[in-house]
Amino acid sequence: MTLAEGVQLVAFGILTAMTLGGALGVVLLDNIVYSAFLLGGVFTSMAGLYILLNAGFVAAAQVLVYVGAVNVLILFGIMLVNKEQEFTPIKQAWVGKVATGGVCVGLFALLTASVLNTPWAISAEVPTGEMATVVIGIHFFTDYLLPFELASVLLLIALIGAIVLARREFIPDVAPGEPASEALQLPERPRELVSSVPGSEPGR
Amino acid sequence: MNQGIDLQGSFVNALVDLGISPGAASALWLPLPMVVILIGATVSIFVTVWLERKISAAAQQRIGPEFAGPLGTLQAAADGIKLIFKEDITPAKADPILFTLGPAIVVIPVFLSYLIVPFGQNLVITDLGVGIFLWIALSSIAPIGLLMSGYSSNNKYSLLGGLRAAAQSISYEIPMALAVLAVVLMSNSLSTIDIVNQQSGYGILGWNIWRQPAGFLIFWIAALAECERLPFDLPEAEEELVAGYQTEYTGMKFGLFYVGSYVNLVLSALIVSILYLGGWESPISVSWLASLIGVSETTPWLQVITASLGIMMTLFKAYALVFIAVLLRWTMPRIRIDQLLDFGWKFLLPVALVNLLLTAALKLAFPVAFGG
Amino acid sequence: MLGFLKQVGDYAKESLQAAKYIGQGLSVTFDHMSRRPITVQYPYEKLIPSERFRGRIHFEFDKCISCEVCVRVCPINLPVVDWDFDKTTKKKNLKHYSIDFGVCIFCGNCVEYCPTNCLSMTEEYELASYDRHELNYDNVALGRLPYKVTQDPMVTPLRELAYLPKGVMDPHDLPPNARRAGQMPQEILEAAQKAAPKETKTES
Repeated sequence: MTLAEGVQLVAFGILTAMTLGGALGVVLLDNIVYSAFLLGGVFTSMAGLYILLNAGFVAAAQVLVYVGAVNVLILFGIMLVNKEQEFTPIKQAWVGKVATGGVCVGLFALLTASVLNTPWAISAEVPTGEMATVVIGIHFFTDYLLPFELASVLLLIALIGAIVLARREFIPDVAPGEPASEALQLPERPRELVSSVPGSEPGR
Repeated sequence: MNQGIDLQGSFVNALVDLGISPGAASALWLPLPMVVILIGATVSIFVTVWLERKISAAAQQRIGPEFAGPLGTLQAAADGIKLIFKEDITPAKADPILFTLGPAIVVIPVFLSYLIVPFGQNLVITDLGVGIFLWIALSSIAPIGLLMSGYSSNNKYSLLGGLRAAAQSISYEIPMALAVLAVVLMSNSLSTIDIVNQQSGYGILGWNIWRQPAGFLIFWIAALAECERLPFDLPEAEEELVAGYQTEYTGMKFGLFYVGSYVNLVLSALIVSILYLGGWESPISVSWLASLIGVSETTPWLQVITASLGIMMTLFKAYALVFIAVLLRWTMPRIRIDQLLDFGWKFLLPVALVNLLLTAALKLAFPVAFGG
Repeated sequence: MLGFLKQVGDYAKESLQAAKYIGQGLSVTFDHMSRRPITVQYPYEKLIPSERFRGRIHFEFDKCISCEVCVRVCPINLPVVDWDFDKTTKKKNLKHYSIDFGVCIFCGNCVEYCPTNCLSMTEEYELASYDRHELNYDNVALGRLPYKVTQDPMVTPLRELAYLPKGVMDPHDLPPNARRAGQMPQEILEAAQKAAPKETKTES
């Protein structure tokens, strides 16, 4: 085993442990902030796995999009929403738990089956490596054009939805043409200004 | 193309001649550039802190640090030693794990980004294909650390400072990435080496700043905002937020933020000099001069001169930009958070988009000048 | 369409103007860099306090008649006058006198009102100590001769801005007897005294 292979193996082990441990932590920890930060760790270690697969561009994109944008937005959501709610125990909560467990076990079985059935032959193709950016770009604008554009439309919809949700309706202080209502004025009597006629000034 | 000085090849060859297997020689080479860059980055903190203090002093008609070392050059070292020996306090109600992790997450990506900073044709740790994109990706990790330290300090000022810092760095990343994209469009590559090579050949006239003046300004403004330099330092605005996310930090944890901010400033200046100011290229092309006096490009002494001149040019350009940043610090008042976000989203982003479209159009129209 | 273009044009004009102003500001800062430092290198150089400087208060024990006027005019009744009445001489006998400079605001009222001039202002301002109780000066400490900047061989005394010759900003390397700008107080007095007899004639 050469040095490179050894480094790869050790890195793979560490990254796998980080991914799995982080993912378990995201699900099992009580503190939601810890979960969010661990999610960032999971994303980062997945980027590391991409690097091991010679996909540098995908790894950088993973860090930029998932760690730098998605995870930060999740954290923003957690930190800005500060709504404390009473914990009310739900009756028959076990039904939900059992259902979740069933779904999880089913998914796990499905994935295991597919993992076992896939022929994991290592392809003889030379990895694109540094040229991956170009190849990805070509794919995006030829055979994967529709999914690519659909994804951008989806993002646009999300963007507009966020604007609609965040935008406050503009409420003008005074409607045009309508005199200012007296309800907002102070209940003081209007003062007479001291007349400026000479001779009527006090002290003369 | 001139390959420049090849330190790795020479080193490996020398070790192989001594009877060490090529693989082992390469493995021995591996840590050397990293250590050199790490030391260089650390020394750059001292230089930058000293420059910052001296330039600030000059701009305010003061003298600045004077007694610690010749001309006060050791002042930053004195500060660092003080921070190391200071008591490391974690506030009682703070979250100790996140509180410790936060500064580290802020600092590590900054140092990692030095991977792609070239000082010469072969004077770079790795010539990655994703190059400059890696830097953008890495700089997007920092907000997580800021949010982490802001949240874990259990202090309202810290939390607000962390949120502000994260919002600021997310908003200014987009115009910055678009400005980079315009440059990448011209060089047809994300690699920093290719970006510099595309600017070489014509001396100062070939630099990207002439082809991308708007992009240069956008990038520099956004880089200042990413570094939280003064017109944009409102995450730590002391009048409103005490010290923002740094409020509860002391000792070396605070020192890490301090180190991070200065290394980030130098890194941004280096990247600007690579993207827009021709990297290691001299204002008058060295290879052109060499051909003028009839010296071959592969002459060893010329290669040494080119390499050292390249390192000096890169650093000189970067520190000229640092100088401008320090001068800006004492010129501009701090802007408000709403002005900051307005400026980022309503001015820089549209201008950067227009700049990108213009670059694409010019590239189609004049493929000679804009990298066909 | 034209309205939109005008908006864009105005916006661009405003941005250019903003850039111009930033450039102006930068040039001001840059210009300041070529000026000489105006700072006083404190422990080695010290400014000479002006004549009416209100520093630490000097107290002469033997002149004091324990009238306590200083206490009455003090905004916070700060001076402590400890005396007892000597029945044989029918005079107050002063035992202790102290002023706490940690509380004193150096308003100078006590100096102003002291009937025997036993209180006076000095030009001593370096009152720092490790314990605030050390600032409570008793009559011995108050009676010490004040420190003078001009008499310290370790210190280069520098003149304040108002005491420099006309047009000079830098107090370093002045000729020893350079005259300060404007008239000296005694000259103003002399001129006034010369003019005074004439005025009395014309008025009478």
